Amino acid sequence: MSELLVIVQIAGRRCALSANDVKSVIEIGAITPVPRTPDFIAGITALRSQSLTVIDCRRALGFEASAGQTDHRAAVVASGGHAYALMVDAIEDITTATAAPGQVPGGFGAEWSRVATGMIETMTGPALLIDLAALIAGPEHARGEIEAAV
Amino acid sequence: MDDLLADFIAETREMLEASGGEIVAWEADPADRARLDTIFRFVHTVKGNCGFFDFPRLASLSHAAEDALADCRAGRREPDRALVSAVLAIIDRIAAMVDAIEAGEEFPEGGDDALIAAVNASGETLDTDGSDGADDAASPPLHAPASALIDRGDDTAGPAARRADTAQRTIRLPVELLDRVMSGVSDMVLARNDLAHRLRQAGNQPTIDGPFERLTSILSDVRDAITRMRMQRIETLFGALPRLVRDLSAELGKQVMVDIDGGDVELDREMIETIRDPLTHIIRNAIDHGIEAPSKRLAGGKREIGLLAIAARQAGNTIAIVISDDGRGLDEERIAAKALATGLITHAERSAMSRDKLLNLIFEPGFSTAETVSNVSGRGVGLDVVRQNLEKVGGSIKVASVPGAGTQFTLQIPLTLSIIAGLTVEVGPQRFAIPQSYVEEIVQASAEALDFTRMGEAALVTFRGNRIPCLLLADALGLEAADSRRELTLVLLRLASGDLFALVVDRIHSHGDLVVKPLAPAVMKSGLYAGSTLLDDGQPVLLLDVTNIAARHDLVSDGRARVLQPVEDEAATVQNATRAMLFTDFAGRRSAVRLELVQRIETAPMAAIDRSAARPRVVIDGMILPLVGLPDTPLKGDKLRLLRLSDGACELLHAVREVEDAIELTNALVPVPEDPLVEAMTLVDSKPVALLDAHELFARFGEPPLAAPGARPRCTLPDSDWARTILAPLVTAAGYDIVADDTGDTGVVAILFEDVYEVAEALGRVPQGPVIRLRDHPEEPQARGTIYRYDRDGLLAALAAARHARMAGGRKG
Repeated sequence: MSELLVIVQIAGRRCALSANDVKSVIEIGAITPVPRTPDFIAGITALRSQSLTVIDCRRALGFEASAGQTDHRAAVVASGGHAYALMVDAIEDITTATAAPGQVPGGFGAEWSRVATGMIETMTGPALLIDLAALIAGPEHARGEIEAAV
Repeated sequence: MDDLLADFIAETREMLEASGGEIVAWEADPADRARLDTIFRFVHTVKGNCGFFDFPRLASLSHAAEDALADCRAGRREPDRALVSAVLAIIDRIAAMVDAIEAGEEFPEGGDDALIAAVNASGETLDTDGSDGADDAASPPLHAPASALIDRGDDTAGPAARRADTAQRTIRLPVELLDRVMSGVSDMVLARNDLAHRLRQAGNQPTIDGPFERLTSILSDVRDAITRMRMQRIETLFGALPRLVRDLSAELGKQVMVDIDGGDVELDREMIETIRDPLTHIIRNAIDHGIEAPSKRLAGGKREIGLLAIAARQAGNTIAIVISDDGRGLDEERIAAKALATGLITHAERSAMSRDKLLNLIFEPGFSTAETVSNVSGRGVGLDVVRQNLEKVGGSIKVASVPGAGTQFTLQIPLTLSIIAGLTVEVGPQRFAIPQSYVEEIVQASAEALDFTRMGEAALVTFRGNRIPCLLLADALGLEAADSRRELTLVLLRLASGDLFALVVDRIHSHGDLVVKPLAPAVMKSGLYAGSTLLDDGQPVLLLDVTNIAARHDLVSDGRARVLQPVEDEAATVQNATRAMLFTDFAGRRSAVRLELVQRIETAPMAAIDRSAARPRVVIDGMILPLVGLPDTPLKGDKLRLLRLSDGACELLHAVREVEDAIELTNALVPVPEDPLVEAMTLVDSKPVALLDAHELFARFGEPPLAAPGARPRCTLPDSDWARTILAPLVTAAGYDIVADDTGDTGVVAILFEDVYEVAEALGRVPQGPVIRLRDHPEEPQARGTIYRYDRDGLLAALAAARHARMAGGRKG
């Protein structure tokens, strides 16, 4: 279990993203908002000639926007052929998993269960392993909004 | 045409190469349905492509093979070795012919009939399986072994070698590689922009600026080249359509006018190839089954000439191609019956089905409504294959139809990567891009001038006399717009359906080429955006999905109205822009008269003018007509230019000093009450022009011609291009009306070629009226009473004589 993980903070929790999914970490520049889209979509931004959809991870989980600062850097991930920039509280480090992901008794809570594959032990302590596709799909109510809009 | 031919050759050869493996496999197992289908499609495509060109031998060969294979597909015939071998022989022959066509050589005559006979005959020897082996041994094989066919490319002798010398040197590349190069170049442009920005900040540095300039120009060259590598104007595809439509309609005895729009839309070469066949197929269907015969159309109260409109529009990552005809529409009941018969749907499903859904069954595999198989529209390679091919590239096809009014096919094709011309607009702090292809016009004017009115949530503007629905982009996007509502900036957008609407924005920012990138699904789902693009400064901008936004605000008319829309629009624009004939009269005044009134520009000799009565008259074509516009002073010169005006019943002539041109009156018409003969004054090229009041003119001077129009002598012509283009004007100028030759009226003068006359005479079907016989050669002493066809004086004399005879006869009767 020497899978490389990128450790980030979302809504004050330590989360782990598979390093295979993370293409790069960029300085986030100007974000162009996209009107009439769910609020977890912060907008689009440019990475060289590519455009990235910026996901506000707090909102994507269904939390309110953070009171504090978010990291000025974002993790660029690819999912379903599209590239996204994940806005998180902080990007901590890259580390190695020490065990297979497992569950904790009592669960992670409604918001977290949807996006969490499980708990994973790493060299720097336990973290929540995030299911990228579920995170990017956004919270239930936002998806409802999308469908209502269609 | 050369490009088309090259495409045809390349395509055929490509298919030959691609189907090489299939041919081998089919030879091994003639019962293999999938192989059969592939080979059927090949010959079908060759046959179809021959429709673009005049290759009768290719067409008949491929048609024969197609017939045989269609029988196999329909189960009417079992594919056996004899058939396989006959079909392969034809494919060999097609390959050889294509080589010859490319080399510009004549393919040796003969042999085709034997091949066609072989294909047809092998069906009859179906039951003599046992003798097959013997047959094969006895007669030399008709075709080269399939393996040899595939190796053709490596063959150094024969046509293949010659081809290498003449053809342009090309290589084939995977599209992904092009994509990578293209996105690399885009990155380079952005890096250059970034560098330019930094250089400006650092101030002038001559040692760096020079090379940087060079880099910039090289980069823009490379970008152009890369862009062209993939893109092609859809014109290359559309360019061949008028000819195709013409040939097909001639073949089917229909009259079809084709209206093509949006040829400047660019799309991937690959996409063009993908839609070529579907488009051709739909057009064939429309002409064959959609548009009715002229007599039927007239009976149905339609114009004799059917209209086939083909329009392409680009919206971000999709291109919509709309093919609409004003024919009889799809027959719901027949489609339902067919679908039930083939087991596509059950009776229960049928009764629950909406018309729309039912119509779209025509794209289901195994569905084809054509009851009789004609040379034109296909038989097995039907709309199901069309849909399949489109879906393979992520496109779609829909049909809408109104019985008796027309059918409309809409093809949607995606462009994963495309460069489009776009307009960037601003709303509040944000910019958005609109595909240029939708933009009809940009209007900046005050709200009062545009008569901007809010009707509930909707808004309307009045522009050039039309009420146009209006959408505030800020509202549509839920943004705060700049508050100044006094000055409006409108972008008039024309949808592929023909609907027009106005989009209110705050400012126009710029326009230029945009590289469109796809958006994430969550953003696409909003339905407002078609993609994103980066401006030169690296800022991402959203591309609006105009069609969807319009649909969401109910600005798109439904399928019913859409079919008819283009026709109505056409009529509306004709009415809006007044077309007029501009001339200078004898008073030296520049005047104009509405073009609809002008029948012809005549030149009359002075002798034809009679000024003895209170009102001048002129004799034209044996008719005495009123003449206006003459100066009071005697005329100089010996000829007079006249405009022949008609209100439908009466005719009059207006003398002019000089005819200038047909123009469009775009400026405002100012009424002139003090001069009753002038309808209005207007400006043309900043100079005043008086538009004549036709009503007053005809009220004062108009009188029905002494010889009523129906009394003009009539004449029938031989049925040939020569007669229509060369003879007809002469006959018309001599004062005859040209009529179709089925009247059987004794008063009609018939002009016939001598050979036709002889046949008619032999059959005892000589025309009733006077006959003028023409001969092809100046000297032909043995044929008495004929006139050489270029003997103008002789012809005119004969026509005049026939006319006098008729008038004399008329007086007698």
